[in-house]
Amino acid sequence: MLIHSLNLRNFRNHTEKALEWAPQFNILTGPNGVGKTNILDAIHLLCMSRSFVTTSDRVLPNQGENWFELGGTFESAARSKFSLKTFYSVNEGKTFFVNDSPLDRLTDLIGRVPVVVMCPEDRKLTAEGPLERRSFLDGLISQLSREYLQNLLLYRRIRRQRSTLLLQDALRGEMLRSALEPWNVQMADVGGKIIATRALVLEHFAGYLEQHFKALTQLSLRPNFTYKTFMPVQAGQSPSEISAQMLLALDAAFEKEQERRQSLIGPHRDELVFYLDQIELRKYGSQGQQRLFTIALKLAQAFYYQDQSEDRPILLMDDVFGNLDSEKIRTLVRILEEQGGQIFITHASGSALRSAADFSMKNSVWYEVSGPEVKNITQSTS
Amino acid sequence: MKVTSESLERTIEELAKLPGTGRKSAQRIAMYLLKQPDDSVYRLAETLQNLKRSVKTCCICRTFSDEDPCAICENPKRQNGQICVVEEFQDMYFIERTDEFRGRYHVLGGVLSPMNNIGPDQLHVKSLIQRVNNPEEPVTEIILALNPDAEGEATSFYLHKLLQPFEVQVTRIAYGIPVGTDLEYIDDATLSRAFRSRSTF
Repeated sequence: MLIHSLNLRNFRNHTEKALEWAPQFNILTGPNGVGKTNILDAIHLLCMSRSFVTTSDRVLPNQGENWFELGGTFESAARSKFSLKTFYSVNEGKTFFVNDSPLDRLTDLIGRVPVVVMCPEDRKLTAEGPLERRSFLDGLISQLSREYLQNLLLYRRIRRQRSTLLLQDALRGEMLRSALEPWNVQMADVGGKIIATRALVLEHFAGYLEQHFKALTQLSLRPNFTYKTFMPVQAGQSPSEISAQMLLALDAAFEKEQERRQSLIGPHRDELVFYLDQIELRKYGSQGQQRLFTIALKLAQAFYYQDQSEDRPILLMDDVFGNLDSEKIRTLVRILEEQGGQIFITHASGSALRSAADFSMKNSVWYEVSGPEVKNITQSTS
Repeated sequence: MKVTSESLERTIEELAKLPGTGRKSAQRIAMYLLKQPDDSVYRLAETLQNLKRSVKTCCICRTFSDEDPCAICENPKRQNGQICVVEEFQDMYFIERTDEFRGRYHVLGGVLSPMNNIGPDQLHVKSLIQRVNNPEEPVTEIILALNPDAEGEATSFYLHKLLQPFEVQVTRIAYGIPVGTDLEYIDDATLSRAFRSRSTF
């Protein structure tokens, strides 16, 4: 997948910009706070329907404004060209357009343009709770499977209905049990499908992680993970079998759920634990190890997507190179060149990046960002 | 802002309360009405008054009707032992349009949704059980025709369970592929469901 051009109006600090992109490296350098990340975020929002920087759309329009507009032209591996546009206003929210016709549902956008982000926030993946890792996993699979995404949304709705019942004071004991029953059946049905898909994808994904961690670090440590759900599952286990077990587990957890007033069984409580060899990364891994692990994780995601879909995702690398030694940077650039997809890189210092990595500027573009101005300096770098 | 016509403003406010109508649309409708001949606007007002005065809820199937019981519940030819359970009045209308079903209906008036405080007591469930129990008109089959979303499914499951002790067959309409559609354009979930509810050729 390629993005050829990007237009920003009133997005963050960019009042009006039109940028052309190259098929391989797209490098943005310039001092902190000039809006490099905002350009990457604009691409993310256009393709994934939300910002990767903030959860509140309200802060995205330029100061003093209450709307923004983003547009881009794209080309998929199958050589089909299309355009995406989004318009946001504080009152009416976001509307997306594909080839100028409005999109009814935001979910129709997901997977159209695959994107993998690497950013400083990624440290949460290895440092914080299971929620971050579940959303990584859901992002990985949702981009490839619309059915999975639909199941996630359906599951969330069923769980909300069920939670409301658990919170009602008037419903206790047998009354609560029978009120929960119609929802349990569905929750187990959809939950089983989600868990089966997660187990299957993770089984494949493990090899990708190992390969890219090794390529990146040259370390002999083996990265791996365990997938924990409410029961032991094998990759390839049938969804209906897991659903049947989940229904039994829900039944058995009734007393506890009644007491805690929460849904305690199901994929919304799954955990993914990362290890280097036998060492649990979150508890005992060094900062450097954690950083390399997340980069390998995201590289693995990009390569996995590529193999599953025969298209390459757009890679957004926000301030990734700043925290790596020069050898790692060179290795990473080499891996990215081999991957061959379209890559966006931000870095504070142009000269430092130039001396650390030997980019072949063929099919690439280099912009120097200085607030209001974005200057193409590709010529002077090659 | 200075309002020069209180009546116009009041009309816009009332129209803006309607579903799918914002203030702008309400303004447009109000302006349109104002420019129409007097009698066509009076006719609309009268129609609206009649809507509330003459439309009743059928005491048997709970549908909207001018007569109580409604024409379908009154019609002896529609007594074939089947009752089709639908969520709302308009669902019954859609099924009726197909000419496929010759039995009677039961309108639930909603589906289970704890988030919106809708439990079995808020739906016309008791009256359905009464109909199943009515020896004067024996029921052999209950056909569940609810939407295949989370709430519709939960309600179907609930009714199925509730009806188990009775001597009545509970069926549901099939999930399938829309007529005139290519397989290519069907989403995975629908296609796999259609496979599971396939029928013998």
